[in-house]
Amino acid sequence: MQAEPSQLEPSSPIPSAVEPKTLSLPPLVSSILRSLFTLLIALWMGALVMWVSGKDPLQAYQALLTTSLGSRTAVANSLLAATPILFTAMAAAVAFRAGIFNVGAEGSLYLGGFAAAWVGFTFTDLPAWLIIPLSFLAAGLVGGLWCYFPAVLRSRLQVDELVTTILLNYVAILFTEYLVNGPFLVPGVANAMSPQIAPAARLPRLLPPSQLNASFLLALAAALAMIYLMTRSKLGYEIRMVGDNPQFARWSGIQVAGVIEKVMVIGGILGGLAGAGQVMGVHYRFIAGFSSGLAFTGMTVALLVRNSPVGALLAALLFGMLRSGSATMEIMTDVPRDLIRVLEATIIFFAAIEFGSLVWRRRRER
Amino acid sequence: MNADTLANILFASLRVMTPLLLAALAGLISQRVNLLNIALEGLMLFGAFFAVVFGAQFGSPWTGLLFSILLTTLITLIYAVAVVELRANLIVAGLAINTLAVGLTSYLLVVMFNARGAYSPAGLVSLPKLSIPLLADAPVLGKILSGHGVLVYLSWILAGLTSLFLYRMPAGIHLRAVGERPEAAETAGINLKAVQYLALLLGGVLCALAGAQLAIGDLTIFNNNMINGRGFIALAAVFFGAGKPGLTAVGCFVFGLFEILQFRLQTSTSIPPQLPQMLPYLIVVLTLTGISLQKALRKKRISV
Repeated sequence: MQAEPSQLEPSSPIPSAVEPKTLSLPPLVSSILRSLFTLLIALWMGALVMWVSGKDPLQAYQALLTTSLGSRTAVANSLLAATPILFTAMAAAVAFRAGIFNVGAEGSLYLGGFAAAWVGFTFTDLPAWLIIPLSFLAAGLVGGLWCYFPAVLRSRLQVDELVTTILLNYVAILFTEYLVNGPFLVPGVANAMSPQIAPAARLPRLLPPSQLNASFLLALAAALAMIYLMTRSKLGYEIRMVGDNPQFARWSGIQVAGVIEKVMVIGGILGGLAGAGQVMGVHYRFIAGFSSGLAFTGMTVALLVRNSPVGALLAALLFGMLRSGSATMEIMTDVPRDLIRVLEATIIFFAAIEFGSLVWRRRRER
Repeated sequence: MNADTLANILFASLRVMTPLLLAALAGLISQRVNLLNIALEGLMLFGAFFAVVFGAQFGSPWTGLLFSILLTTLITLIYAVAVVELRANLIVAGLAINTLAVGLTSYLLVVMFNARGAYSPAGLVSLPKLSIPLLADAPVLGKILSGHGVLVYLSWILAGLTSLFLYRMPAGIHLRAVGERPEAAETAGINLKAVQYLALLLGGVLCALAGAQLAIGDLTIFNNNMINGRGFIALAAVFFGAGKPGLTAVGCFVFGLFEILQFRLQTSTSIPPQLPQMLPYLIVVLTLTGISLQKALRKKRISV
């Protein structure tokens, strides 16, 4: 494939299993404790920001809690908000585990969402049992394909995937905006949006009046599939090997380039499915600019739980709570919902410090 | 296309390349100590925010610029402490700064001015434009080079100074040594941490200027998505320039040119605006691909 460097690096350490442990708690317990600790610091930081800007933190957090968990509908709405985050968190976690920073799920979410909408408003005669899987299939395909480009650039040419996926996200967002402003413009509607999808393509609601819908179940299934993939499958093992030490993985006969491509395409597929879920379960059409940084929220989740797939599942639910509660918190207590971003930033920051340069060692040779 | 149109295009390209150039210089200096600065995007946003807010507060774009530099550098210090002292993961810490920038500025806009997303204070004027004596009267060149904002000219001076700093001044030579041969540099008695702090904090100042140029260079407006990936485009210019100030500036100019071309395509043709808007991002990705391809081919040639 390529001429690999002959100079071995004697200094590169063996994977991090040798990390000294002073406290011998079971790993699951200690990782949960660490995540909770980070979360507490983030909440404290948010409180500090509120306090400095003359708001009442206790009141705000109380409002956040009651509006996200206070009633059956509130819980349903939290789960609804958690649905796309579940997909993007898994996308980020799988990539991180291989040492890859894939933010392309955002672009996949848009393109996949549009693909699902297109199937939904084009093949209007199909029955539900056919059009729903077909829409998801189209979204997954388009989403996966979208991430395949930066994946190949990364795996074959070492083009930085973080920079390319971030820049390509702008392209995807603009392109879908073009589609609903140009070829698929619905005349007479104020906002740029596609035609409505066929009634048969709408996902059933689980707990009306909440918009919580069947895509939540798909997100759960996808999360479980990812947990299985990461912990039980051969690919999962290879992903962990590549993440711990790519050089060592290569010597062990793992196709590192192939693993990187798979990881990024999986992220793209998950992003596409997330977009389809939003289109078919919530909006019933494609609306330009409908996601705001869901891929980054997914990344935050993955960082909070140190890439543990089980943890990502729980943390995605928590972030769904925060997102769904923050809108009402804003109305009730005058605290802008952007506070959630400050919490996210704090979480990312502490994850960065804790991991140090240990886990995601990146060699950037000039 | 006549000479006037061409002059207009070049003039505008020089204007829009300025924030890219300033941010790219920031990225370049950190790149030289082997620190990939992902935080450019967020630091620029902070720079823009402080410039508008404090400019409006004190009624002068100059105080805005001053506070922008001070406060953005302060935020860079947090980033630097995390990276240098606590050995935080560079990329993740950079993403944290970017997230914080969007979150905190949006939060403060609502709390302070009851504005969601965008803020344009009444009465705040932009930084002055300079008409270069003699040059201003030159036929075509005058139209291209004269009449820009002060930060445009400052960015050119800073690009020159960066080159001078890196290759002629002791601190800059130490900085390069740290990037290229850290062990040797340490043996030679160079304080690694001090050099890393220096590189990141200089980057903070440059990002503040970049943000200020966007916010109070021509118009006086803050918008929480006004950076629009420019931090990453600047980073791409650094990759393109292979760490050299001159070549990096060329990269910024080319990316700036495409920004203007897409803008003209939008206004002069009936093509839907989103398609030209995609152009700069695609050009940057293609450029990155080209660089890596070239590198890979060279490697192959050597190993054969």
